[in-house]
Amino acid sequence: MKKGIDYLTRGIEVILVLLLASMAVMVFANVVMRYGFNSGLAISEEMSRFFFVWLTFIGAVVTFKENGHLGVETLVRMFGRRGRMICMALTNALIIMCAVILFWGTWLQQPINASVIAPVSRMPMIYVFGVTYFAAVGIGIIAAVRLFRVLTNTVSEAELRQFAGEYDDDSQLVGRSE
Amino acid sequence: AQYQDRTFRVSNGINEDHPVGDGVRAMQACLDERTGGALKLNAFWGNALGGDLQATQSLRSGTLEMVITSSSPLVGIVPALGVFDLPFLFSNEQEADAILDGEFGDYIAGLLPEFGLVNLAYWENGFRNLTNSRGPVEKWEDFEGLKVRVMQNNIFLDTFANMGANATPMAFGEVFSALETRAIDAQENPFVTIDTSQFYEVQDYLSVTNHAYTPFMVLFSKPIWDTLSEDEQTAMSDCAVVGRDAQRAAGRALASESLARVREAGMQINEISPEEQARMVEKAQVVYERHAEEIGVEVVERMQAALAELRAQ
Amino acid sequence: MIILVFLASLLGSMAIGLPVAFALMFTGIVLMSFMGIFNPQILAQNMIEGANTFTLLAIPFFLLAGELMNQGGLSKRIINFAISFVGHLRGGLGIVAIVAAIIMASLSGSAAADSAALAAILIPMMRDAGYNVPRSAGLIAAGGIIAPVIPPSIAFIIFGVAANVSITQLFLAGITPGIIMGLGLLVVWQFIARRDKVATLPRQDWPARLKATADAGWALLMPVIILGGIRFGVFTPTEAAVVAAAYALFVGLFIYRELKIADLYFVLLRAAKTTSVVMFLVASALVSAWLITSANIPGEVGNLIRPLIDNPTLLLFAIIALVLVVGTALDLAPTILILSPVLMPIIRQAGIDPVYFGVLFVMTTCIGLITPPVGIVLNVVSGVARVPMGKVIGGVLPFLLAHIAVLVLLILFPELVLTPLRWLRG
Ligand code: NA
Ligand code: NA
Repeated sequence: MKKGIDYLTRGIEVILVLLLASMAVMVFANVVMRYGFNSGLAISEEMSRFFFVWLTFIGAVVTFKENGHLGVETLVRMFGRRGRMICMALTNALIIMCAVILFWGTWLQQPINASVIAPVSRMPMIYVFGVTYFAAVGIGIIAAVRLFRVLTNTVSEAELRQFAGEYDDDSQLVGRSE
Repeated sequence: AQYQDRTFRVSNGINEDHPVGDGVRAMQACLDERTGGALKLNAFWGNALGGDLQATQSLRSGTLEMVITSSSPLVGIVPALGVFDLPFLFSNEQEADAILDGEFGDYIAGLLPEFGLVNLAYWENGFRNLTNSRGPVEKWEDFEGLKVRVMQNNIFLDTFANMGANATPMAFGEVFSALETRAIDAQENPFVTIDTSQFYEVQDYLSVTNHAYTPFMVLFSKPIWDTLSEDEQTAMSDCAVVGRDAQRAAGRALASESLARVREAGMQINEISPEEQARMVEKAQVVYERHAEEIGVEVVERMQAALAELRAQ
Repeated sequence: MIILVFLASLLGSMAIGLPVAFALMFTGIVLMSFMGIFNPQILAQNMIEGANTFTLLAIPFFLLAGELMNQGGLSKRIINFAISFVGHLRGGLGIVAIVAAIIMASLSGSAAADSAALAAILIPMMRDAGYNVPRSAGLIAAGGIIAPVIPPSIAFIIFGVAANVSITQLFLAGITPGIIMGLGLLVVWQFIARRDKVATLPRQDWPARLKATADAGWALLMPVIILGGIRFGVFTPTEAAVVAAAYALFVGLFIYRELKIADLYFVLLRAAKTTSVVMFLVASALVSAWLITSANIPGEVGNLIRPLIDNPTLLLFAIIALVLVVGTALDLAPTILILSPVLMPIIRQAGIDPVYFGVLFVMTTCIGLITPPVGIVLNVVSGVARVPMGKVIGGVLPFLLAHIAVLVLLILFPELVLTPLRWLRG
């Protein structure tokens, strides 16, 4: 089980790297073409934007798994195990609610986005907008697992420390902030 | 007549000092009189509720009531609206009014409910004209090699590419500094925009090409429209027309003021001679053929028939 | 009333540890329920539109450029360059830290990364030379927050998009205030250095300086490419960012040769992850921003401070004080994203130059990075320098006051920002 999740995470990370690398290549190629050949590809503006949307929402799941999203943990850090567990349960319940509403909203929007065509690539916009399905499901599952572990009292000390924003490694801190 | 107290949010891409502001005020005054203040417009300016395309999508999903937008950003939703992007479609404002307020305008409006939209009226954005830093554009050959900023729109891109220009799509917010630094040579917009965006500070030549006329559409959300009473719907439609007349009058007055202002600011302005205008129109015909399919052959034919009939009178 | 609902749901959910991005989504949900317009599509649509913006692509590219530069051994060369020129002056390594911080600010947009790099190299040197370590750590933290004020700056990109202000203008406008922040630190440090009689380094001769300059030259060329490119219209900010990344890749691989092809994967991955953290926040903020606007909250706030609207200076003091308070608890991007939709209509109505305001706004949020209770740069420096948090807070205090003094100066004399901006615009 754990191995499967690790492979899945690695696979998603490869996708993130490919998305970012292609964005850079497309935008850079356009700069070169504009100055070198006095031309440009309208498609590269559009596709790099769509890749960016995918990168954002696919990456949001991976970073959520790593507790990478910025929060204010000042108050939580003052609590003991019990207080932290209550906060962690409430927080994950709210996250599940957000994920459900995000999924629901994407579902309701589906017909509207399926009928809009991107101006240059002529791609139906649902392929761009639909990425929130992935984000909602991914984040929802992770939050549900966390909530379950709190409720069954199987959550580890390390997880609780991470929840309270206590890191062992400084580089994790630098990576969280822009 | 029965009117419930309702407030409709109206999203706008432009700012309140644009003639659309006059139109919204006139429409509100009409609604006040008709409904005793029951129906209210709450206008948001400068893309505060998102871009025109996003706002239009909100209308379709019923999360926003109204948007006043140029037709161009919507061709991804309603391909038929591309007909208004065709170059040199109308030769003057009277022609535009007659077609938009007449049968053809109704025909286009009739296509929209299927997409979750109701068009209340056509307001005016004004004819688009070209400014550049190189020299007066007097004939189509003068477009050759000109780096022109255009909207992200296939028909506009093709129109300028077809004239030999180097058409570059660019976000509107970047245009001023791109012109200033000569990253691009030219841009095209109605007089009012050229004036209010102070393009005269960075551009020397204004050529009155009148190369496009894309109307503003006053759109209402179909899902919300269906919850209005018939009286309320009639009041909205009628007052949108009252607003239209005020908006067009204000727009046309402002356009000549703007033209005078940019002339005073030192722009060299040239009209296109009728012969050269005819040559430009001729040159642009191939754009009609290339895009008829994506717009819808019937739509383009109906438009041409309506124009032919009007011009025969 | 709706302001209270907004504040209560945002602050309450953040207090129990809900990450800011989700707190913003939650606030959006509460707002639309309260307004009686609950519709899940508002959430879905605004989140995607938040990310679907070409201008914001500058963020991943500048992050990538920064990662490539760090991996490529650049900080070391910049610090050596600074040592060779100013290490012998009174204040020694403290001046080196300030000068290096300003140079690194012109290469990267990240206060946390810059402070970490400076602290890792300089703190051991300062400790060995007998400097007061908490004071030194405080100086480095205060120097590190210049990064988002001097371009390139992710904070300016986010503000530019959120407030609809030209990013090019913001970049040009940030240069002088960033340098003034450095000068403020220099003044305070001179007092401290005189009192503490800190050690200085031996003066280096010109051949040594030339060698250090040549070594750092490739790095020093990067701000010239970015700023020159933007100033002369060669690139848009997004293009400048991708060119900077390409340049950093080239220098790291072929000139400094400290970057290996195998590192590239992890460099890209780190930049991609940070991008998604920042952008997910931007996307969520758009949900609450849409509802804030829809509910006319800016109008309500505007009415509250309407008495001040005729006095721009007083208005600015009030607004900047508010931002400073919010910034003590929040990071840069959330502060900018939450406050811009509320403040910008008021700023425009008061006739305050939005570019000038953007500079003050970003500076103020930067100062928040070195204040308790939440100051990410303090955490980073405390971790890297191995100094307890409480001592770093004490150490940073005089420099924090220096930054606030600069802020007050810029509010009282807007010309300090606007005149150099006019020169730079040409
Ligand atoms: Na910077
Ligand atoms: Na703080």
